[in-house]
Amino acid sequence: MIWQILLLSGLILFSILAILSKDLIKSAISLALASLFLGILFFQMNAPYAGVFEISVVAGLITVLFMLTIALTKAEGDVRESKLARLIFPLVFVAFILIDVLVMKGLLQKVPALPDTSEPGAFGDVLWKQRTFDLVGQLAIILAGVFSVLALFRKRNKDE
Amino acid sequence: MAFAAGLLFVGLYCLLTMKNVIKLFIGIEVISKGVSLALLATGFVKKNTLLAQSLVITFIVVEVSLVATALAIIINIYRHTKSLDIRKLTKLKG
Repeated sequence: MIWQILLLSGLILFSILAILSKDLIKSAISLALASLFLGILFFQMNAPYAGVFEISVVAGLITVLFMLTIALTKAEGDVRESKLARLIFPLVFVAFILIDVLVMKGLLQKVPALPDTSEPGAFGDVLWKQRTFDLVGQLAIILAGVFSVLALFRKRNKDE
Repeated sequence: MAFAAGLLFVGLYCLLTMKNVIKLFIGIEVISKGVSLALLATGFVKKNTLLAQSLVITFIVVEVSLVATALAIIINIYRHTKSLDIRKLTKLKG
């Protein structure tokens, strides 16, 4: 339990660093560290497949894509973020946490408890047999992503 | 669940206050972390981690596709406007 709270606190801390840091490279690295914490948390919650995906894809691949984009758009200096947003953030965040703790406690008690639907079987059975439609959707989304990136980076004719 | 709500808040704050397009997208990523944490935490509490895992994996695949497309759009925006400032994207204003 203590480990989980530490990991969750690290996740929140690095997410805050990712949005408040002035340097975009530092923001991307903080985001990757937050993903790493989330992946370890998934392992702690008995979800190893989700943890592996989170660490390899989100912490690895997406960070590389962010770094590439930051390297290709060397224009960090031209956007001035307001200092007020950075200064106010701790106050607003503490206020939100207080409201969150107070409201969530009451709200979660009011929500009717769903029955435990624990099911025996392997992860593969659930993914391939129960969620087959999701897999088809995933394939469609990957293809859509590939074609949209190809369309965005296609070379233009001189006539256009 | 309170931590997932905290992540959603951090991401929304970023979306509302920042002006750099890449920063805004980092905010969206933080929100997506909150959503995947909420999904898996619910599955963990209800002792149904297998289904929650498959949903989280689907979510991650969608997220990767979204990131690739959005970053390609950001690079194209930079090529057109020579800036990453969201306020300079006013050509689509009605």
